[in-house]
Amino acid sequence: MNVPNNLSRSCLLAFAIFWIVILSNEGIDEDIILILFLSFIPIFMVASLVILSTVCPIFWFTAKQGFSKQEVFKTYHPYYVVIAFGLSVFGILSTNFNINMIAFFVSAFITTNQSWVWFAKEKTNGKHS
Amino acid sequence: MKHILIIIASFLFSILFFEKSIGLNLSLFSILTIVFLMLYNPQKIRNRTIRLYILAYITTAVFVFIQHSNLSIIANCVAFFTLVGAVSEQKTSIYVNWLNGIYTSVAGYFHRNLEVSTEKENVSWKKDLDLIHVAKLIGIPLLFIIIFVLLYKNGNPMFNDLVNNINFNFINFQWLLFTVLGYYLFSNISKPIPVEPATNKDVKTTNTLYKSDTFSEEKLKKEKQLGTTLLGLLNLLIILYIITDIASLTSIDTTRASVLSSQVHNGINTLIASIVIAIIIILYFFRGNLNFYAENKTLKQLTYLWIILNVALIVLIAIKNQNYITSFGLTYKRIGVHIYILLTLIGLITTFLKVMNIKNMVFLFRTNTQIAFITLILFSAVNWDHTITKYNLNQAQHFDINYLIKLSNRNALLLYEQKDIINISQKNKNRIDTKYWSYVKEVLKSEWQEISFEKFIIDDKHPSSEL
Repeated sequence: MNVPNNLSRSCLLAFAIFWIVILSNEGIDEDIILILFLSFIPIFMVASLVILSTVCPIFWFTAKQGFSKQEVFKTYHPYYVVIAFGLSVFGILSTNFNINMIAFFVSAFITTNQSWVWFAKEKTNGKHS
Repeated sequence: MKHILIIIASFLFSILFFEKSIGLNLSLFSILTIVFLMLYNPQKIRNRTIRLYILAYITTAVFVFIQHSNLSIIANCVAFFTLVGAVSEQKTSIYVNWLNGIYTSVAGYFHRNLEVSTEKENVSWKKDLDLIHVAKLIGIPLLFIIIFVLLYKNGNPMFNDLVNNINFNFINFQWLLFTVLGYYLFSNISKPIPVEPATNKDVKTTNTLYKSDTFSEEKLKKEKQLGTTLLGLLNLLIILYIITDIASLTSIDTTRASVLSSQVHNGINTLIASIVIAIIIILYFFRGNLNFYAENKTLKQLTYLWIILNVALIVLIAIKNQNYITSFGLTYKRIGVHIYILLTLIGLITTFLKVMNIKNMVFLFRTNTQIAFITLILFSAVNWDHTITKYNLNQAQHFDINYLIKLSNRNALLLYEQKDIINISQKNKNRIDTKYWSYVKEVLKSEWQEISFEKFIIDDKHPSSEL
């Protein structure tokens, strides 16, 4: 599993989605540029932490049982999605549609799902890798 | 052609929901979804089960328009996921439909993304790379141009004026994002996905229990003895409990809310524990070969007796709850207790059927989830705020006006109509007036996407010339 590659792509994706949602609401301002650059650090940390703690373990544990990555995706991704979707909806509703929380949960949901796809698409040496 | 349909649907999605609250838009969205699914899956729509789910979905859409309650909105969402799940695979249980429906609606794109790459790996990778290249070609220069423009603005007043004259206000980026969300949703449901292996396993699983190869008379005899002793003693215990409960029921002081409240809540806790343990014990003993053991008649009879006694326990709790309601009025919690009692009763009946007809656990899950779905739809047809208010003001011995005023606006009209015939303080009458007129204003200013049936009632009561 190419974890560093996946994490770097995921962090960029999370960064882009988070700021697209925020900027679509608040507009672009020169004062926001510094925050925009600095935000990459917490976004990187949160995205990495979430992917390393929720997505990677599923691939690591199932790899020992001889599942191919695509089998893992098809078997476990739906349940991951249902839980992630439920938590995201709960988070957005409980914060009364706060734009920052919407940006956070939307970027987290899309990024983790895309991370699943990138892991599952990785080329493997045969089925049992 | 199919892409154009998705684009049209996503525009309609934006028109219906962007910066609007729920009302007519959800009902229209339901119709749009049904038409969309019909166009994309014409073969599957002919199936009888799917037609029933379409009917259920339309019914909930009508309830959203008429009742405009949170419960009707939840029922509509559940019916949406059920229908989408059923289109992915018709012969599955309702809970698998929910799984398929949610997965298709929220992550269909990601699943298809992987499947396409599996089927046509080489072509897809090339296509992927091209797309990434195009995205880079547009995205990266755009990002840096924006950053540098914002930086240069501070360095030169003429450049600053020039930039300030550029106005992108005519583009609503939030609206664009919302339309993308609509595109994502309709693109996902255009081709519903069955979750494997759950769907396949569910299709293959029947409701009937079969005798296994490890049928051992000696083992089953011991298990039967254990079951008979346990259920016999539990039956005696529950009989004793019911007798004492009936005795205490006749001696309760119904004028004291705290006594009644404690009785009902204790009863409910007992009921929850009793019913759950009862069902677990029954399911444990009748999980396999004991169903086919010739000498299981006594155990079966004790099981039936225990189920009947649990039903008696439910009736007692229902009586206590009803006494409570008669004395102190309806509340959401008290209605919730009645609904819980109803569902428990249904649970016991299906457990009885499972034992009698030698069915498996899947039968129980399937039947009970279907009943829960139907119950949700039926209860979403009721305006509970109106029902609670009407009952409490007209039939209950005591009522809490503060509770009624704090309910949602759906009882505002009834409270306003009855405020002068009920015995309440002037302060509360003023609160009712405030609630009613803010409700009227809210209804009258709603846009066409947000209207519900109550708009016609208010229009009828207050023609625009009056306000």
